[in-house]
Amino acid sequence: MSAASVDGAPLLDVRNLVVHLRVGGAVVRAVDGVDFSVGEGESIGVVGESGSGKSTLVRAILQLLPNVELAASQGEVNFRGIDLANISGPALRRLRRDHGFSMIFQDPLGYLNPTKRVGAQVAEAIGEKNSTPVVDRVQRLFAEAGLPSPSQVVRRYPHELSGGMRQRVMIAMALASEPALLVADEPTTALDATVQLQVLETLRRLHRDRKMAMVIISHDLGVIAELCDRVYVMRAGKIVESGEILEVFESPKHAYTAQLVALSKRRNAAPASSDAIEHGAGQ
Amino acid sequence: MNGMATLEPPSADPGLLVRAWRYLRAAIGNLAHTRHGAVGCVILLLLAFVAVFAPSIAPYAPLQQAQASLAPPSLENFFGTDNLGRDIFSLVIYGTRTSLAIGLGAAFGALILGGTVGMLAGYFRGAVESILMRVAELFQTLPVIVVVLLTVALFGSSFWLLLAAVVLAIWPVEARLVYSQYIKLRGMDFVAAAKVADLSTAHIMLREILPSAIPPVIVQVALDASVAILIEAGLGFLGLSDPNMVSWGQILHVAQDYMTVAWWTSLFPGAAICLAVVGLNLFADGLSEIADPRLAGRMGGLQP
Amino acid sequence: MLRFVFFRLLHAIPLLIAVVFVILLMLQLIPGDPVQAMVGDFPVSPDFRAAITKQYHLDDPFLVRVYSYFVNLLHGDFGYSYQFQRPVLDLIVETAPRTIVLTLAGFLVAIPLGVAIGVISGTTRNKRVDRFWTSATLIAYAIPTFWFGQLLVLVLAVHFGWFPTQGMGPLVSRAHGLSWLLERAHYIALPALAFAAYEGPRFARIMRVSVTDTLGQGYIITARAKGLTRWAIIRGHVLRNSSLPLVTVVGYALGSALGGAVLLETVFTWPGLGLLLVQAVRVRDNMTVVGIVIFAALAIIVINLLVDLLYAALDPRIRNS
Repeated sequence: MSAASVDGAPLLDVRNLVVHLRVGGAVVRAVDGVDFSVGEGESIGVVGESGSGKSTLVRAILQLLPNVELAASQGEVNFRGIDLANISGPALRRLRRDHGFSMIFQDPLGYLNPTKRVGAQVAEAIGEKNSTPVVDRVQRLFAEAGLPSPSQVVRRYPHELSGGMRQRVMIAMALASEPALLVADEPTTALDATVQLQVLETLRRLHRDRKMAMVIISHDLGVIAELCDRVYVMRAGKIVESGEILEVFESPKHAYTAQLVALSKRRNAAPASSDAIEHGAGQ
Repeated sequence: MNGMATLEPPSADPGLLVRAWRYLRAAIGNLAHTRHGAVGCVILLLLAFVAVFAPSIAPYAPLQQAQASLAPPSLENFFGTDNLGRDIFSLVIYGTRTSLAIGLGAAFGALILGGTVGMLAGYFRGAVESILMRVAELFQTLPVIVVVLLTVALFGSSFWLLLAAVVLAIWPVEARLVYSQYIKLRGMDFVAAAKVADLSTAHIMLREILPSAIPPVIVQVALDASVAILIEAGLGFLGLSDPNMVSWGQILHVAQDYMTVAWWTSLFPGAAICLAVVGLNLFADGLSEIADPRLAGRMGGLQP
Repeated sequence: MLRFVFFRLLHAIPLLIAVVFVILLMLQLIPGDPVQAMVGDFPVSPDFRAAITKQYHLDDPFLVRVYSYFVNLLHGDFGYSYQFQRPVLDLIVETAPRTIVLTLAGFLVAIPLGVAIGVISGTTRNKRVDRFWTSATLIAYAIPTFWFGQLLVLVLAVHFGWFPTQGMGPLVSRAHGLSWLLERAHYIALPALAFAAYEGPRFARIMRVSVTDTLGQGYIITARAKGLTRWAIIRGHVLRNSSLPLVTVVGYALGSALGGAVLLETVFTWPGLGLLLVQAVRVRDNMTVVGIVIFAALAIIVINLLVDLLYAALDPRIRNS
């Protein structure tokens, strides 16, 4: 099964993406010639350790890089045939708001506005002001994301919720635009072990029920194995291996991949003490 | 960046003055690269030139009342004359001396007083730190001009008293700066090394830490000078500065009464004050850009 | 939170005592005749002199003087002005509100302007725009406000005649209601503008720094990811979250408004506390000068305390700890 959808063209097609950042006096080659594609309804994983560039890769693709100076930037990013790097602001916004793509982040506490109620923040993704249909939709999204008592959670501030609930708020926010593609950057890394499993289950359910494509980024192959059909292995800005998840697990072709597989097996064999080994702080 | 001299604290042995001079030369060289710094430097050099060569530049003796009073600007009186027939151009020229004197004098006074306090507090910590910093806070409570007015009211307004009053009002800022620098630096390796080498406390404070603490301090000195000039001008404007010295502010004091008929008494002296203060602020801005170039190069703004 | 309040209070009171102490110490150090020093350019008869010496404990040790001054302060006695022949507190109560009105009018202009410039220069991607506003702010910061006030008068009042040159109102006013308000606005316009030029640049600078900090936060990326327009992000996330530092700066500025008022009220002959202080200094009415300065110190310390408390109440980090 390769990256193709019903009509043959991939949902997301990235060719030879290069993103070099200027940090301090040096140039960091965060993404150094990457080919990447996602089919409609497919679930893809990107695995690599901290600093491999996986976060930068997806942010660059979704045009969400923060204020950093670019030393070099080239490549094609096609979403349903549209070149994301060259569309207008309004066109990009339209894709973000409506049947395009959404993203959820590793640190829901930092990525939610501390001074705004979570319901209002999700409502922003839907659009109009506090009309009743909007409130209803927000609560339904909360329910879909697995939040208990949506009508009460809506009025909470981010710091009043647990880590897992915050992440579900982010998920609800991402679902608001009915995206064809959902990107999750280390969605469970910052959560407790038991909560991790629950959120993973939620993501799996959503992938199945909504038939939306997903890109899951993680340093943990185990997480990706739970959710994804195919995986890309990334190291130092380059893709070193890619393929079906089972194949990669069983017969890794690259030495680095083999290491990751071994690490994942050891991690999942040991009891809950083997918690997040690398909290990829800012990639 | 190419073409920029490095600004690390020069290494060990040459005397403090040599080091300060080298630093200054490098700094001025780099300043030329920053827009603000270059303009600021030019302005300051111009003012210094005018102050030093005042007698040669000014067409008339400043207090000479020979001309027609309240005459508008003309070829004889570039800036016009005041109500006593004094040439305003000459007054402005000579006023440069007063302003630069008080600017630099007060700034260095604050540096010495505040710097010493900050140095002691930052190095010795503990009770010394608490007491000294509380005292600094005390003097920082009231606005600068209120403190100066109080001093003038109680003790009179001769130039030196004015200088002392301004120093009294602005030393806490300098103290805080030096204090935070010392706190930051005393934990560093070269200090530990010096202690192990059994160097005296005074040596450590003055010859080891001080040179590294200097860059932001110079910025503050420039800013202090601009505050001092503003305050002196303000007092002159209120009619409370030293009557024996020519002051830009004093001309504005006259202007206050004659504004409806003699706009030139207000425009030119005020522009001079503005120029001096802007020059110092631009200079300070340029300096701080060099000292912390990270701030300059960052890409800003809200992306789509 | 309560601990914070308690410690702040504990901090403010000794500060106030210390300020008063230092000022009285300065009074003590005046060379010459202490009675004349307190009373100013006012002829003093022997009986009067004896009365004053007794009332203000001029013959007693310094510490007794300080103590009695504090006792007086607690009773609301800030001294007596021999120039104006009224208790100092009366004078203060009469003039301080006018200064407050002027300050608030200045804020009315300075705050929106500062916020707008800060937000523009902080959010723009155009480096030139940012540099322009930063330079403009720097220069505005450096212009002497009393000169700017004079310029405003020269251009807008003298040359164009659109505004009055000085004062708080006409000598005789028969306006009522709305027209009274408009008349007042007419007179306060120029002084308020000058005051705004005094505080505005500082507000703009703080706002810009705060906006830049906010833009570095994660939730801004989330906002972009949601497809919000630039303006929606600014309105919904940047403005609210960047405003907190500005609140403190505005608060502190309110406390130290006297500094700017001293010069501006002289330019515009605005009969506020600043003008009163200047007049008192000119005639060496030191009782009044000291009374005003101590009042100002009191006001500043109290206002700063309130501002710090307000900040603690608003800052989500402190509030939620």
